Amino acid sequence: MSRRLSRPTLVAQRSAVIIALVVFLAPVLWLALTAYEPSRAIQSTPPLPWFVPGLANFVIIAQQFDLAKLTLGSAVISAGSTLLSLLLGIPCGYALARARHRGAIILAYVFLAIRGVPTVVTLIPFYLFMRQIHLLGTWWAVILMNATLSTAFVAWMMYTAFRTVPTEIEDAAIVDGCGGFGAFWRVALPLVRTSVVASALLCMMFAWNDYLNPAFLTRAETRPLSVALLTAFGGPTTSSWGTLGAMAHISTIPIILVALVLNRFLVAGLIRGVH
Amino acid sequence: MSFRLTPLQRRSIFLCLMAAPAAIHVAVFALYPILRGMGFSLFQMNLMQPWIHHFVGLRNYTDALTDPTVRRSLVVTIIFTVGCVAAELVCGLCLALLLWRDSAFNRFATTLMLVPITVTPIVVGLIFRALLDPSFGLIGYWLLQAGLAPPQGLLGDTHTALATMMGIDVWEWTPLVALILLAALKALPADILDAAEIDGAGGTRRLTRIILPMLLPSLFLVLALRFTDVFRTYDIVFAATAGGPGDSTNLLMLLAAKEGLTFFDIGYGSAISILMTLCIVLMVALLIVTLRSLDRRMNQA
Repeated sequence: MSRRLSRPTLVAQRSAVIIALVVFLAPVLWLALTAYEPSRAIQSTPPLPWFVPGLANFVIIAQQFDLAKLTLGSAVISAGSTLLSLLLGIPCGYALARARHRGAIILAYVFLAIRGVPTVVTLIPFYLFMRQIHLLGTWWAVILMNATLSTAFVAWMMYTAFRTVPTEIEDAAIVDGCGGFGAFWRVALPLVRTSVVASALLCMMFAWNDYLNPAFLTRAETRPLSVALLTAFGGPTTSSWGTLGAMAHISTIPIILVALVLNRFLVAGLIRGVH
Repeated sequence: MSFRLTPLQRRSIFLCLMAAPAAIHVAVFALYPILRGMGFSLFQMNLMQPWIHHFVGLRNYTDALTDPTVRRSLVVTIIFTVGCVAAELVCGLCLALLLWRDSAFNRFATTLMLVPITVTPIVVGLIFRALLDPSFGLIGYWLLQAGLAPPQGLLGDTHTALATMMGIDVWEWTPLVALILLAALKALPADILDAAEIDGAGGTRRLTRIILPMLLPSLFLVLALRFTDVFRTYDIVFAATAGGPGDSTNLLMLLAAKEGLTFFDIGYGSAISILMTLCIVLMVALLIVTLRSLDRRMNQA
Protein backbone atom coordinates (compact mmCIF):
# COMPACT_ATOMS: atom_id res chain seq x y z
CA MET A 1 0.00 0.00 0.00
CA SER A 2 1.55 3.26 -1.03
CA ARG A 3 -1.41 5.61 -0.74
CA ARG A 4 -0.83 8.76 1.27
CA LEU A 5 -2.50 8.79 4.64
CA SER A 6 -4.18 11.86 6.09
CA ARG A 7 -2.19 13.56 8.82
CA PRO A 8 -4.37 12.45 11.80
CA THR A 9 -4.37 8.83 10.59
CA LEU A 10 -0.60 8.92 10.24
CA VAL A 11 -0.18 10.33 13.75
CA ALA A 12 -2.53 7.67 15.17
CA GLN A 13 -0.69 4.89 13.32
CA ARG A 14 2.73 6.11 14.46
CA SER A 15 1.69 6.47 18.10
CA ALA A 16 0.15 2.98 18.09
CA VAL A 17 3.40 1.55 16.68
CA ILE A 18 5.47 3.46 19.22
CA ILE A 19 3.33 2.16 22.10
CA ALA A 20 3.75 -1.39 20.76
CA LEU A 21 7.51 -0.90 20.50
CA VAL A 22 7.69 0.31 24.12
CA VAL A 23 5.68 -2.71 25.29
CA PHE A 24 7.92 -5.12 23.38
CA LEU A 25 11.28 -3.52 24.11
CA ALA A 26 10.99 -2.16 27.68
CA PRO A 27 11.25 -5.54 29.47
CA VAL A 28 14.36 -6.46 27.49
CA LEU A 29 15.87 -3.06 28.16
CA TRP A 30 15.14 -3.45 31.87
CA LEU A 31 17.09 -6.72 31.99
CA ALA A 32 19.95 -5.17 30.07
CA LEU A 33 20.12 -2.36 32.63
CA THR A 34 20.11 -4.67 35.68
CA ALA A 35 23.47 -6.01 34.52
CA TYR A 36 25.01 -2.67 35.55
CA GLU A 37 23.08 -2.42 38.80
CA PRO A 38 24.31 -3.67 42.20
CA SER A 39 22.06 -6.53 43.41
CA ARG A 40 21.02 -4.68 46.55
CA ALA A 41 19.62 -1.86 44.44
CA ILE A 42 17.66 -4.26 42.21
CA GLN A 43 15.88 -5.93 45.11
CA SER A 44 15.00 -2.81 47.10
CA THR A 45 11.42 -1.99 48.13
CA PRO A 46 10.07 0.24 46.72
CA PRO A 47 11.98 -0.10 43.43
CA LEU A 48 14.58 2.66 43.04
CA PRO A 49 14.08 5.07 40.16
CA TRP A 50 17.82 5.29 39.49
CA PHE A 51 21.15 3.66 40.43
CA VAL A 52 24.89 4.11 40.09
CA PRO A 53 26.00 1.86 37.23
CA GLY A 54 28.89 -0.56 37.77
CA LEU A 55 30.42 -3.61 36.18
CA ALA A 56 30.47 -5.82 39.30
CA ASN A 57 28.03 -8.34 37.80
CA PHE A 58 30.23 -8.88 34.77
CA VAL A 59 33.22 -9.49 37.03
CA ILE A 60 31.23 -12.07 39.02
CA ILE A 61 30.14 -14.08 35.97
CA ALA A 62 33.62 -13.91 34.48
CA GLN A 63 34.96 -15.46 37.70
CA GLN A 64 32.17 -18.01 38.13
CA PHE A 65 31.89 -19.26 34.56
CA ASP A 66 34.21 -20.27 31.78
CA LEU A 67 32.47 -17.87 29.40
CA ALA A 68 34.61 -18.78 26.38
CA LYS A 69 33.76 -22.44 26.78
CA LEU A 70 30.02 -21.77 27.25
CA THR A 71 29.96 -19.56 24.16
CA LEU A 72 31.83 -22.24 22.25
CA GLY A 73 29.21 -24.76 23.39
CA SER A 74 26.36 -22.57 22.15
CA ALA A 75 28.16 -21.83 18.88
CA VAL A 76 28.99 -25.48 18.14
CA ILE A 77 25.49 -26.65 19.00
CA SER A 78 23.66 -24.01 16.98
CA ALA A 79 26.04 -24.11 13.98
CA GLY A 80 26.07 -27.91 13.99
CA SER A 81 22.28 -28.23 14.28
CA THR A 82 21.70 -25.61 11.57
CA LEU A 83 24.21 -27.09 9.11
CA LEU A 84 22.96 -30.64 9.60
CA SER A 85 19.31 -29.56 9.25
CA LEU A 86 20.02 -27.61 6.05
CA LEU A 87 22.11 -30.43 4.60
CA LEU A 88 19.34 -32.94 5.21
CA GLY A 89 16.29 -30.70 4.83
CA ILE A 90 16.99 -28.75 1.62
CA PRO A 91 17.46 -31.74 -0.74
CA CYS A 92 14.50 -33.43 0.90
CA GLY A 93 12.28 -30.35 0.44
CA TYR A 94 13.36 -30.24 -3.22
CA ALA A 95 12.50 -33.89 -3.74
CA LEU A 96 9.10 -33.41 -2.06
CA ALA A 97 8.32 -30.42 -4.29
CA ARG A 98 9.31 -32.20 -7.51
CA ALA A 99 8.09 -35.73 -6.90
CA ARG A 100 4.71 -36.63 -8.38
CA HIS A 101 4.32 -39.72 -6.22
CA ARG A 102 1.69 -39.88 -3.46
CA GLY A 103 4.36 -41.07 -1.01
CA ALA A 104 5.93 -37.61 -1.18
CA ILE A 105 2.84 -35.93 0.28
CA ILE A 106 2.66 -38.54 3.03
CA LEU A 107 6.32 -37.92 3.87
CA ALA A 108 5.67 -34.15 3.97
CA TYR A 109 2.85 -34.64 6.48
CA VAL A 110 4.97 -37.00 8.58
CA PHE A 111 7.54 -34.19 8.80
CA LEU A 112 4.86 -31.71 9.89
CA ALA A 113 3.61 -34.17 12.51
CA ILE A 114 7.14 -34.73 13.87
CA ARG A 115 7.33 -31.00 14.60
CA GLY A 116 4.12 -31.22 16.61
CA VAL A 117 5.30 -34.02 18.88
CA PRO A 118 6.17 -32.66 22.35
CA THR A 119 9.89 -32.82 23.08
CA VAL A 120 9.44 -34.92 26.22
CA VAL A 121 7.99 -37.79 24.17
CA THR A 122 11.24 -38.15 22.29
CA LEU A 123 13.57 -36.80 24.97
CA ILE A 124 13.26 -39.72 27.42
CA PRO A 125 13.87 -42.51 24.86
CA PHE A 126 16.44 -40.33 23.07
CA TYR A 127 18.32 -39.87 26.35
CA LEU A 128 18.48 -43.66 26.84
CA PHE A 129 19.40 -44.18 23.17
CA MET A 130 22.30 -41.71 23.42
CA ARG A 131 23.48 -43.41 26.60
CA GLN A 132 23.45 -46.74 24.78
CA ILE A 133 25.59 -45.49 21.90
CA HIS A 134 27.84 -43.49 24.27
CA LEU A 135 26.98 -40.05 22.89
CA LEU A 136 25.22 -38.81 26.02
CA GLY A 137 26.86 -35.63 27.29
CA THR A 138 28.48 -34.78 23.96
CA TRP A 139 27.56 -31.95 21.59
CA TRP A 140 26.55 -34.62 19.07
CA ALA A 141 23.63 -35.68 21.25
CA VAL A 142 22.12 -32.16 21.25
CA ILE A 143 22.90 -31.57 17.57
CA LEU A 144 21.24 -34.82 16.52
CA MET A 145 18.20 -34.06 18.68
CA ASN A 146 17.80 -30.47 17.42
CA ALA A 147 18.33 -31.62 13.85
CA THR A 148 15.35 -33.98 13.98
CA LEU A 149 12.97 -31.11 14.77
CA SER A 150 14.73 -28.61 12.51
CA THR A 151 15.12 -30.97 9.54
CA ALA A 152 11.37 -31.45 9.53
CA PHE A 153 10.95 -27.67 9.65
CA VAL A 154 13.51 -26.95 6.89
CA ALA A 155 12.10 -29.68 4.65
CA TRP A 156 8.62 -28.17 5.00
CA MET A 157 9.81 -24.57 4.39
CA MET A 158 11.88 -25.59 1.36
CA TYR A 159 9.06 -27.77 0.02
CA THR A 160 6.80 -24.70 -0.16
CA ALA A 161 9.65 -22.54 -1.51
CA PHE A 162 10.70 -24.91 -4.32
CA ARG A 163 7.09 -25.22 -5.45
CA THR A 164 7.19 -21.54 -6.44
CA VAL A 165 10.09 -22.21 -8.85
CA PRO A 166 8.74 -23.09 -12.32
CA THR A 167 10.00 -26.50 -13.45
CA GLU A 168 10.50 -25.31 -17.05
CA ILE A 169 13.78 -23.57 -16.17
CA GLU A 170 15.13 -26.75 -14.60
CA ASP A 171 13.94 -28.90 -17.52
CA ALA A 172 15.84 -26.62 -19.88
CA ALA A 173 18.96 -26.96 -17.75
CA ILE A 174 18.65 -30.76 -17.76
CA VAL A 175 18.29 -30.79 -21.57
CA ASP A 176 21.44 -28.64 -21.74
CA GLY A 177 23.26 -31.48 -20.00
CA CYS A 178 23.23 -30.07 -16.49
CA GLY A 179 22.07 -33.32 -14.89
CA GLY A 180 19.47 -33.67 -12.16
CA PHE A 181 21.74 -32.52 -9.37
CA GLY A 182 23.10 -29.64 -11.45
CA ALA A 183 19.57 -28.40 -12.10
CA PHE A 184 18.92 -28.44 -8.37
CA TRP A 185 22.25 -26.97 -7.31
CA ARG A 186 22.88 -24.37 -10.02
CA VAL A 187 19.33 -23.39 -11.08
CA ALA A 188 16.72 -24.01 -8.38
CA LEU A 189 18.74 -23.43 -5.20
CA PRO A 190 19.99 -19.90 -6.05
CA LEU A 191 16.37 -18.87 -6.77
CA VAL A 192 15.22 -19.75 -3.24
CA ARG A 193 18.22 -18.46 -1.32
CA THR A 194 16.09 -16.09 0.79
CA SER A 195 14.11 -19.07 2.07
CA VAL A 196 17.36 -20.90 2.83
CA VAL A 197 18.59 -17.94 4.89
CA ALA A 198 15.23 -17.54 6.65
CA SER A 199 15.05 -21.19 7.65
CA ALA A 200 18.72 -21.20 8.68
CA LEU A 201 18.10 -18.16 10.88
CA LEU A 202 15.06 -19.72 12.58
CA CYS A 203 16.92 -23.03 13.12
CA MET A 204 19.86 -21.21 14.60
CA MET A 205 17.72 -19.11 16.93
CA PHE A 206 15.91 -22.22 18.12
CA ALA A 207 19.12 -24.16 18.79
CA TRP A 208 20.87 -21.20 20.44
CA ASN A 209 17.97 -20.46 22.81
CA ASP A 210 16.74 -23.95 23.63
CA TYR A 211 17.00 -24.97 27.25
CA LEU A 212 15.35 -28.36 27.73
CA ASN A 213 17.36 -30.46 25.25
CA PRO A 214 20.87 -29.32 26.25
CA ALA A 215 19.93 -29.31 29.96
CA PHE A 216 19.38 -33.06 29.79
CA LEU A 217 21.79 -34.09 27.05
CA THR A 218 25.00 -32.20 27.94
CA ARG A 219 27.35 -32.40 30.90
CA ALA A 220 29.36 -29.68 32.65
CA GLU A 221 32.09 -29.45 29.97
CA THR A 222 29.73 -29.29 26.99
CA ARG A 223 27.09 -26.94 28.47
CA PRO A 224 25.82 -24.04 26.34
CA LEU A 225 24.94 -20.51 27.49
CA SER A 226 21.18 -21.16 27.62
CA VAL A 227 21.69 -23.71 30.40
CA ALA A 228 24.25 -21.58 32.24
CA LEU A 229 21.76 -18.70 32.31
CA LEU A 230 19.70 -20.48 34.92
CA THR A 231 22.81 -21.31 36.94
CA ALA A 232 23.87 -17.65 36.77
CA PHE A 233 20.50 -16.72 38.17
CA GLY A 234 20.80 -19.20 41.03
CA GLY A 235 18.06 -21.16 42.75
CA PRO A 236 14.63 -19.86 43.70
CA THR A 237 15.95 -18.54 47.02
CA THR A 238 19.27 -17.01 46.02
CA SER A 239 18.07 -15.14 42.96
CA SER A 240 20.57 -12.81 41.41
CA TRP A 241 19.05 -10.64 38.71
CA GLY A 242 22.25 -8.72 38.13
CA THR A 243 24.35 -11.71 37.12
CA LEU A 244 21.45 -12.98 35.05
CA GLY A 245 21.37 -9.66 33.22
CA ALA A 246 25.11 -9.81 32.61
CA MET A 247 24.86 -13.39 31.36
CA ALA A 248 21.89 -12.49 29.14
CA HIS A 249 24.09 -9.84 27.46
CA ILE A 250 26.50 -12.53 26.37
CA SER A 251 23.80 -14.96 25.28
CA THR A 252 21.53 -12.46 23.52
CA ILE A 253 23.76 -9.92 21.79
CA PRO A 254 25.21 -12.34 19.17
CA ILE A 255 21.77 -13.62 18.19
CA ILE A 256 20.25 -10.12 18.00
CA LEU A 257 23.12 -8.99 15.77
CA VAL A 258 22.71 -11.97 13.44
CA ALA A 259 18.94 -11.45 13.32
CA LEU A 260 19.25 -7.73 12.56
CA VAL A 261 21.80 -8.33 9.80
CA LEU A 262 19.72 -11.08 8.19
CA ASN A 263 16.36 -9.38 8.86
CA ARG A 264 15.73 -8.58 5.19
CA PHE A 265 16.14 -12.24 4.26
CA LEU A 266 13.88 -13.34 7.09
CA VAL A 267 10.89 -11.33 5.87
CA ALA A 268 11.56 -12.09 2.20
CA GLY A 269 12.00 -15.79 2.96
CA LEU A 270 8.81 -15.94 4.98
CA ILE A 271 6.84 -14.43 2.09
CA ARG A 272 8.02 -17.29 -0.09
CA GLY A 273 7.40 -19.87 2.61
CA VAL A 274 3.86 -18.64 3.00
CA HIS A 275 2.79 -18.73 -0.64
CA MET B 1 25.82 -52.67 -19.50
CA SER B 2 22.96 -54.85 -20.54
CA PHE B 3 20.14 -52.57 -19.32
CA ARG B 4 19.58 -48.81 -19.38
CA LEU B 5 17.30 -46.74 -17.19
CA THR B 6 14.74 -44.48 -18.81
CA PRO B 7 15.15 -40.75 -17.96
CA LEU B 8 11.97 -40.93 -15.89
CA GLN B 9 13.32 -43.83 -13.81
CA ARG B 10 16.62 -42.04 -13.34
CA ARG B 11 14.72 -38.96 -12.22
CA SER B 12 12.73 -40.88 -9.58
CA ILE B 13 15.86 -42.59 -8.28
CA PHE B 14 17.57 -39.21 -8.05
CA LEU B 15 14.64 -37.69 -6.11
CA CYS B 16 14.55 -40.68 -3.74
CA LEU B 17 18.26 -40.26 -3.09
CA MET B 18 17.70 -36.57 -2.33
CA ALA B 19 14.95 -37.32 0.19
CA ALA B 20 16.58 -40.39 1.72
CA PRO B 21 19.11 -38.79 4.16
CA ALA B 22 16.45 -36.66 5.85
CA ALA B 23 13.96 -39.53 5.95
CA ILE B 24 16.57 -41.86 7.46
CA HIS B 25 17.65 -39.27 10.03
CA VAL B 26 14.07 -38.62 11.12
CA ALA B 27 13.31 -42.34 11.24
CA VAL B 28 16.35 -43.13 13.41
CA PHE B 29 16.34 -40.11 15.74
CA ALA B 30 12.62 -39.26 15.95
CA LEU B 31 10.38 -42.15 14.93
CA TYR B 32 12.48 -44.81 16.68
CA PRO B 33 12.50 -42.88 20.01
CA ILE B 34 8.76 -42.21 19.70
CA LEU B 35 8.07 -45.91 19.14
CA ARG B 36 10.30 -46.79 22.08
CA GLY B 37 8.43 -44.22 24.17
CA MET B 38 5.17 -45.93 23.21
CA GLY B 39 6.75 -49.19 24.35
CA PHE B 40 7.90 -47.67 27.68
CA SER B 41 4.39 -46.39 28.35
CA LEU B 42 3.22 -50.01 28.66
CA PHE B 43 5.71 -50.79 31.42
CA GLN B 44 6.14 -49.86 35.02
CA MET B 45 9.74 -48.72 35.00
CA ASN B 46 11.85 -46.21 36.85
CA LEU B 47 15.48 -45.39 36.14
CA MET B 48 16.09 -44.80 39.85
CA GLN B 49 14.93 -48.35 40.61
CA PRO B 50 16.16 -50.36 37.61
CA TRP B 51 15.07 -53.67 39.15
CA ILE B 52 11.40 -52.70 38.68
CA HIS B 53 10.42 -53.50 35.11
CA HIS B 54 7.02 -55.11 34.60
CA PHE B 55 4.63 -55.10 31.73
CA VAL B 56 1.46 -53.39 32.95
CA GLY B 57 -0.48 -52.99 29.70
CA LEU B 58 -2.53 -49.82 29.58
CA ARG B 59 -2.41 -49.19 33.33
CA ASN B 60 -0.22 -46.09 33.00
CA TYR B 61 -2.85 -44.63 30.68
CA THR B 62 -5.80 -45.43 32.95
CA ASP B 63 -3.79 -44.07 35.89
CA ALA B 64 -3.06 -40.86 34.00
CA LEU B 65 -6.65 -40.39 32.88
CA THR B 66 -7.99 -40.85 36.41
CA ASP B 67 -5.23 -38.80 38.09
CA PRO B 68 -6.76 -35.46 39.21
CA THR B 69 -3.37 -33.73 38.71
CA VAL B 70 -3.27 -34.80 35.06
CA ARG B 71 -6.86 -33.73 34.53
CA ARG B 72 -6.29 -30.29 36.06
CA SER B 73 -3.14 -30.01 34.02
CA LEU B 74 -5.02 -30.89 30.83
CA VAL B 75 -7.62 -28.17 31.52
CA VAL B 76 -4.86 -25.63 32.25
CA THR B 77 -3.02 -26.62 29.06
CA ILE B 78 -6.12 -26.28 26.89
CA ILE B 79 -7.04 -22.85 28.35
CA PHE B 80 -3.43 -21.73 27.94
CA THR B 81 -3.12 -22.97 24.36
CA VAL B 82 -6.44 -21.67 23.02
CA GLY B 83 -6.14 -18.34 24.86
CA CYS B 84 -2.55 -17.68 23.81
CA VAL B 85 -3.03 -18.64 20.16
CA ALA B 86 -6.21 -16.54 19.86
CA ALA B 87 -4.64 -13.49 21.51
CA GLU B 88 -1.42 -13.82 19.49
CA LEU B 89 -3.39 -14.08 16.26
CA VAL B 90 -5.51 -10.99 16.98
CA CYS B 91 -2.60 -8.87 18.31
CA GLY B 92 -0.29 -10.09 15.55
CA LEU B 93 -2.82 -9.24 12.84
CA CYS B 94 -3.41 -5.75 14.29
CA LEU B 95 0.32 -5.14 14.46
CA ALA B 96 0.83 -6.40 10.90
CA LEU B 97 -1.95 -4.12 9.60
CA LEU B 98 -0.39 -1.19 11.47
CA LEU B 99 3.00 -1.83 9.85
CA TRP B 100 1.67 -2.66 6.39
CA ARG B 101 2.26 0.69 4.65
CA ASP B 102 5.82 0.83 3.39
CA SER B 103 7.78 3.66 4.97
CA ALA B 104 11.19 4.10 6.59
CA PHE B 105 9.54 4.41 10.00
CA ASN B 106 7.63 1.13 9.59
CA ARG B 107 10.67 -0.74 8.28
CA PHE B 108 12.66 0.42 11.29
CA ALA B 109 9.85 -0.57 13.70
CA THR B 110 9.58 -4.02 12.03
CA THR B 111 13.29 -4.59 12.59
CA LEU B 112 13.02 -3.70 16.29
CA MET B 113 10.05 -6.09 16.63
CA LEU B 114 12.53 -8.92 16.08
CA VAL B 115 14.13 -8.34 19.48
CA PRO B 116 11.62 -10.23 21.71
CA ILE B 117 11.82 -13.28 19.41
CA THR B 118 15.58 -13.48 19.87
CA VAL B 119 15.55 -13.38 23.68
CA THR B 120 15.99 -16.83 25.23
CA PRO B 121 12.57 -18.04 26.50
CA ILE B 122 14.07 -18.97 29.89
CA VAL B 123 15.19 -15.34 30.24
CA VAL B 124 11.76 -14.04 29.20
CA GLY B 125 10.19 -16.03 32.03
CA LEU B 126 12.71 -14.65 34.52
CA ILE B 127 12.37 -11.03 33.31
CA PHE B 128 8.64 -11.05 33.98
CA ARG B 129 9.07 -12.88 37.28
CA ALA B 130 11.24 -9.95 38.42
CA LEU B 131 9.13 -7.18 36.90
CA LEU B 132 5.94 -8.54 38.46
CA ASP B 133 7.45 -9.25 41.88
CA PRO B 134 5.29 -7.49 44.49
CA SER B 135 8.20 -6.28 46.63
CA PHE B 136 10.86 -5.08 44.17
CA GLY B 137 9.33 -5.46 40.69
CA LEU B 138 8.96 -2.26 38.71
CA ILE B 139 5.45 -3.24 37.61
CA GLY B 140 4.45 -5.55 40.46
CA TYR B 141 5.21 -3.10 43.27
CA TRP B 142 3.18 -0.27 41.79
CA LEU B 143 0.30 -2.56 40.83
CA LEU B 144 0.17 -3.72 44.45
CA GLN B 145 0.26 -0.13 45.73
CA ALA B 146 -2.56 0.76 43.36
CA GLY B 147 -4.54 -2.20 44.65
CA LEU B 148 -4.59 -3.83 41.21
CA ALA B 149 -2.68 -6.99 42.15
CA PRO B 150 -3.04 -9.59 44.91
CA PRO B 151 -0.49 -9.40 47.79
CA GLN B 152 1.56 -12.33 46.41
CA GLY B 153 1.85 -10.64 43.05
CA LEU B 154 0.15 -11.54 39.76
CA LEU B 155 2.28 -14.68 39.33
CA GLY B 156 1.98 -15.72 42.98
CA ASP B 157 -1.80 -15.91 43.21
CA THR B 158 -3.69 -18.98 41.99
CA HIS B 159 -6.44 -16.84 40.44
CA THR B 160 -4.22 -14.60 38.34
CA ALA B 161 -1.13 -16.73 37.61
CA LEU B 162 -2.47 -18.52 34.51
CA ALA B 163 -3.81 -15.35 32.84
CA THR B 164 -0.55 -13.54 33.59
CA MET B 165 1.50 -16.43 32.19
CA MET B 166 -0.61 -16.26 29.03
CA GLY B 167 0.10 -12.55 28.80
CA ILE B 168 3.84 -13.30 28.93
CA ASP B 169 3.59 -15.89 26.15
CA VAL B 170 1.59 -13.43 24.05
CA TRP B 171 4.28 -10.80 24.64
CA GLU B 172 6.98 -13.14 23.44
CA TRP B 173 5.31 -14.54 20.32
CA THR B 174 3.05 -11.77 18.95
CA PRO B 175 5.98 -10.24 17.00
CA LEU B 176 6.65 -13.53 15.16
CA VAL B 177 2.97 -13.84 14.23
CA ALA B 178 2.98 -10.19 13.12
CA LEU B 179 6.10 -10.74 10.98
CA ILE B 180 4.66 -13.76 9.17
CA LEU B 181 1.33 -11.99 8.55
CA LEU B 182 3.11 -8.81 7.48
CA ALA B 183 5.11 -10.81 4.95
CA ALA B 184 1.85 -12.28 3.67
CA LEU B 185 0.11 -8.86 3.52
CA LYS B 186 2.98 -7.42 1.50
CA ALA B 187 2.67 -10.26 -0.99
CA LEU B 188 -1.05 -9.61 -1.65
CA PRO B 189 -1.78 -8.52 -5.24
CA ALA B 190 -2.18 -4.72 -5.23
CA ASP B 191 -4.68 -4.58 -8.13
CA ILE B 192 -7.39 -6.46 -6.21
CA LEU B 193 -6.95 -4.17 -3.19
CA ASP B 194 -7.09 -1.06 -5.36
CA ALA B 195 -10.19 -2.34 -7.17
CA ALA B 196 -11.94 -2.90 -3.84
CA GLU B 197 -11.07 0.61 -2.77
CA ILE B 198 -12.33 2.18 -5.97
CA ASP B 199 -15.55 0.17 -5.60
CA GLY B 200 -15.96 2.06 -2.34
CA ALA B 201 -15.73 -0.89 0.04
CA GLY B 202 -15.22 0.44 3.58
CA GLY B 203 -12.27 -0.45 5.82
CA THR B 204 -13.95 -3.23 7.80
CA ARG B 205 -15.61 -4.70 4.72
CA ARG B 206 -12.31 -4.72 2.86
CA LEU B 207 -10.68 -6.49 5.79
CA THR B 208 -13.28 -9.23 6.31
CA ARG B 209 -14.32 -9.78 2.69
CA ILE B 210 -11.08 -9.40 0.79
CA ILE B 211 -7.96 -9.29 2.93
CA LEU B 212 -8.73 -12.07 5.43
CA PRO B 213 -9.88 -14.64 2.82
CA MET B 214 -6.70 -14.01 0.84
CA LEU B 215 -4.64 -14.38 4.02
CA LEU B 216 -6.11 -17.79 4.87
CA PRO B 217 -3.05 -19.87 3.84
CA SER B 218 -0.74 -17.80 6.04
CA LEU B 219 -3.27 -17.72 8.87
CA PHE B 220 -3.25 -21.51 8.66
CA LEU B 221 0.55 -21.62 8.81
CA VAL B 222 0.55 -19.33 11.86
CA LEU B 223 -2.19 -21.28 13.62
CA ALA B 224 -0.54 -24.66 13.00
CA LEU B 225 2.87 -23.32 14.05
CA ARG B 226 1.60 -21.63 17.21
CA PHE B 227 -0.85 -24.39 18.24
CA THR B 228 1.88 -27.02 18.18
CA ASP B 229 4.42 -24.75 19.87
CA VAL B 230 2.16 -23.31 22.59
CA PHE B 231 0.85 -26.75 23.46
CA ARG B 232 4.36 -27.90 24.36
CA THR B 233 5.48 -24.69 26.09
CA TYR B 234 8.06 -25.44 28.74
CA ASP B 235 10.84 -22.89 29.12
CA ILE B 236 9.01 -19.66 29.98
CA VAL B 237 6.61 -21.28 32.44
CA PHE B 238 9.38 -23.33 34.04
CA ALA B 239 11.37 -20.12 34.60
CA ALA B 240 8.49 -17.89 35.71
CA THR B 241 6.39 -20.10 38.00
CA ALA B 242 7.64 -23.71 37.64
CA GLY B 243 3.97 -24.75 37.43
CA GLY B 244 2.83 -23.01 40.61
CA PRO B 245 1.34 -21.61 42.72
CA GLY B 246 -0.44 -24.89 43.46
CA ASP B 247 -1.17 -26.44 40.08
CA SER B 248 -2.40 -23.22 38.51
CA THR B 249 0.17 -23.08 35.69
CA ASN B 250 1.20 -26.74 35.67
CA LEU B 251 1.10 -27.40 31.91
CA LEU B 252 1.15 -31.01 30.68
CA MET B 253 4.65 -30.52 29.31
CA LEU B 254 5.95 -29.54 32.75
CA LEU B 255 4.12 -32.46 34.34
CA ALA B 256 5.50 -34.97 31.82
CA ALA B 257 9.02 -33.55 32.17
CA LYS B 258 8.78 -33.75 35.97
CA GLU B 259 7.62 -37.38 35.94
CA GLY B 260 9.96 -38.58 33.23
CA LEU B 261 13.09 -36.48 33.56
CA THR B 262 13.16 -35.51 37.25
CA PHE B 263 11.53 -38.52 38.97
CA PHE B 264 12.68 -40.86 36.15
CA ASP B 265 9.27 -42.54 36.20
CA ILE B 266 9.71 -43.41 32.54
CA GLY B 267 6.54 -45.46 32.06
CA TYR B 268 4.17 -42.88 33.50
CA GLY B 269 5.97 -39.90 31.95
CA SER B 270 5.85 -41.59 28.53
CA ALA B 271 2.14 -42.33 28.88
CA ILE B 272 1.40 -38.65 29.61
CA SER B 273 3.55 -37.61 26.64
CA ILE B 274 1.77 -40.00 24.27
CA LEU B 275 -1.59 -38.66 25.48
CA MET B 276 -0.31 -35.14 24.76
CA THR B 277 0.67 -36.20 21.25
CA LEU B 278 -2.81 -37.59 20.64
CA CYS B 279 -4.32 -34.28 21.85
CA ILE B 280 -2.16 -32.19 19.55
CA VAL B 281 -2.82 -34.41 16.51
CA LEU B 282 -6.56 -34.12 17.24
CA MET B 283 -6.36 -30.33 17.60
CA VAL B 284 -4.41 -29.84 14.37
CA ALA B 285 -6.74 -32.19 12.48
CA LEU B 286 -9.72 -30.18 13.77
CA LEU B 287 -7.96 -26.98 12.71
CA ILE B 288 -7.37 -28.29 9.18
CA VAL B 289 -11.00 -29.40 8.80
CA THR B 290 -12.38 -26.08 10.11
CA LEU B 291 -10.12 -23.99 7.88
CA ARG B 292 -10.92 -26.13 4.82
CA SER B 293 -14.65 -25.54 5.25
CA LEU B 294 -14.06 -21.86 6.03
CA ASP B 295 -11.95 -21.56 2.89
CA ARG B 296 -14.67 -23.17 0.80
CA ARG B 297 -17.38 -20.91 2.23
CA MET B 298 -15.37 -17.68 1.96
CA ASN B 299 -14.19 -18.32 -1.58
CA GLN B 300 -17.68 -19.22 -2.75
CA ALA B 301 -19.17 -15.99 -1.45
